[in-house]
Amino acid sequence: MGFEIMEDIRKDYVYDLIGSGKRVDGRGFREYREISVERDLIKNAEGSALVKIGDTVVLVGVKLEPGEPFPDAPNQGVIMTNAELVPMASPDFEPGPPDENSVELARIVDRGIRGSEAIDLEKLCIEAGEKVWMVFIDIHVLDNDGNLVDAAALGAIASLLNTRIPNEKYGLTGEDILPMRGTPVAVTTVEIGGNILVDPNLYEENAAASKLTVISNAAGALNGMQKSGSGGLKVEEIAEMVDIGLEKAKEIREKYLVT
Amino acid sequence: MGEEIKLIKDGKRLDGRGFEELRPIKIEVGILKRADGSCYFELGNNKVIAAVYGPREMHPRHFQDAKMAVVKYRYNMAPFSVDDRKRPGPDRRSVEISKVSREALDPVIIKEYYPKTAIDVYVEVLQSDAGTRTAGINAASVALAAAGIPMRDLVSSIAVGKIDGEVVLDLSAAEDNYGEADMPVAMVARTNTITMLQMDGQFSKEEFERGLKLATSACRKIYELQRTALVEKYSESVGEGEA
Amino acid sequence: MRSMYKVVVPGDFITEEVNRAGEGTYVADGRVYAMKYGIIDDKEEIKVVALSGKYVPSRGDIVIGKIIEISYPYWIIDIGSPYEARLHLSELAKGEEKRIEFGSMNKYLDLGDLVVAKVLNVDSMMRVDLALKEEFKIGGRGRLLEISHTKVPRVIGRSGSMIKMLKEKCNCFIFIAKNGRIWIKGSEDEMNLASQVVLMIANEAHTSGLTDRVANFLDSFKRKKEEDKGKEWEKK
Repeated sequence: MGFEIMEDIRKDYVYDLIGSGKRVDGRGFREYREISVERDLIKNAEGSALVKIGDTVVLVGVKLEPGEPFPDAPNQGVIMTNAELVPMASPDFEPGPPDENSVELARIVDRGIRGSEAIDLEKLCIEAGEKVWMVFIDIHVLDNDGNLVDAAALGAIASLLNTRIPNEKYGLTGEDILPMRGTPVAVTTVEIGGNILVDPNLYEENAAASKLTVISNAAGALNGMQKSGSGGLKVEEIAEMVDIGLEKAKEIREKYLVT
Repeated sequence: MGEEIKLIKDGKRLDGRGFEELRPIKIEVGILKRADGSCYFELGNNKVIAAVYGPREMHPRHFQDAKMAVVKYRYNMAPFSVDDRKRPGPDRRSVEISKVSREALDPVIIKEYYPKTAIDVYVEVLQSDAGTRTAGINAASVALAAAGIPMRDLVSSIAVGKIDGEVVLDLSAAEDNYGEADMPVAMVARTNTITMLQMDGQFSKEEFERGLKLATSACRKIYELQRTALVEKYSESVGEGEA
Repeated sequence: MRSMYKVVVPGDFITEEVNRAGEGTYVADGRVYAMKYGIIDDKEEIKVVALSGKYVPSRGDIVIGKIIEISYPYWIIDIGSPYEARLHLSELAKGEEKRIEFGSMNKYLDLGDLVVAKVLNVDSMMRVDLALKEEFKIGGRGRLLEISHTKVPRVIGRSGSMIKMLKEKCNCFIFIAKNGRIWIKGSEDEMNLASQVVLMIANEAHTSGLTDRVANFLDSFKRKKEEDKGKEWEKK
């Protein structure tokens, strides 16, 4: 894609192409863009990963520090997920407090990690009722060319899988590596003119009325779902999106998350 | 650790309901004087009010859309609506709920009729027992119609979940807190189109399909109640007896 | 026995006769559905008469507006719509040699003034241009009521029958504008009665037999007044 299409006619252009079975960048309907995952590149973070899906670039950093547990879970570590759509990533991102898009992004990623119980939170207990490890997952979107969710979720798990626990820094002893027992993967599809397309790029995301993210674990169970966008989906379309979600999650997991 | 909470005893849920049973629903149309449309909605112990203002001038001007109305939705919980007082003001959960709720209603509103305007939907949760976002969407649908907003259909909403391994309809707070999955859904009954779908927890693919089916059939029942409330509103606004 | 017109909600199926689809309906898959919450008006066209909703101006409408801003060379006017209207100063300087100067517009029409105007045009950007009617100024002792514009046809009645009856029996000057604003002039008592009746019509606009009920109400009110007057005399 070397050229830019004028905004007004973009939507029609995307629709027309898809109507004739083609995507803007020549991919198949069930094909992801090229994915790359680079781990452990930020030395000051306990865990990190840089994920690129096509031209979308997301950097995730994980930091751990001791803190107080929630009163209703005194023996469990705490997960806090946050996302920043930094202004450099897109002419549409403005500096300021998190807007609804960044809040939604963080909460979807968080949902997948929690639902799959990927982090063994009980192993993060330092002193029951008093001190536990807080896991801060910070998603930093650097370049937006669509499908931030899948990139962010992949980055989160890739970071967590190699996250060190900074015992020395706090004068504690214990496990070296964050205890992970799951690898949830998010797969996002859009519906355009009755067709289901996986991994929408920015044009496709803007042209589509509805988007569905499906998060599943290695056992093929569903750990999270989110429909977004101002459109509606038929039950059959959702069923197809769930199937694609399970299929693609397996591929991505095997290729990028098996250490 | 801690004691195992049993959410199902002798085939019944904690509040005595069957697996596919809705909590009682109460709907009142037009309870606010100043709003252009309003609706009070109860779903079990949930109490919410939805109010619609609009179409009205959109400020700030640069957010106007020259071709259609802009729909805004604000979901807010009163501090006393939950057991542990909630600090006033939007938190991240409310921000997300506002977004997905707006996206649940947006598809049915015929926005082209009122270019450059704003349609403001406000949902206040007065008392919460899980399911407030679904109650809010149900109330907002009715309020939008009552305000005379042009719409293709009403939208209806309910959540399903999983407790003690069983797929059930319309979770209460205890079931949501100790259950294994929670899935709020919104739908247009007439066309069977889903306009909101979220899930957290764990569902097998088969449990998901069963849950979705349960949710859609419950939405159809809720639609009938919404419709009836709107139609009956006009038989009561006529006074008794001749002058 | 009060009978009701048929109430519909958005999405209700109305008919398969697509060629008869009128205002307040939409067509999908060869069927006509209700687009608004309202009552069915089944004549040549099938319409849904909305029971609520904002007034959107159309060319030719006569409206009552309030000056809310002076922005040379226009007065900006609130017409009870999500869209503001504007009146160009040339509308007031018509046929005269005088030119209205910058800074002196308020001498002609000031903030808060009420005017009767006609909608000249609404463009695709929803800019609404007004022209003043001959007798445009609303002032002096009188009362301005505001009801939903959706009820205006009922207050006017078929061929003006309702408004005619109101004017006679209330003995008031009554002017109803398309945007739901009503100007009434008369004695305090007369205006009170007229206001009460207008409100009654607005609340019962969706029922049939309304004209008769209003007539009965007005007659019984008159009778009661005469009875009370009679009683007063007897006391003396």
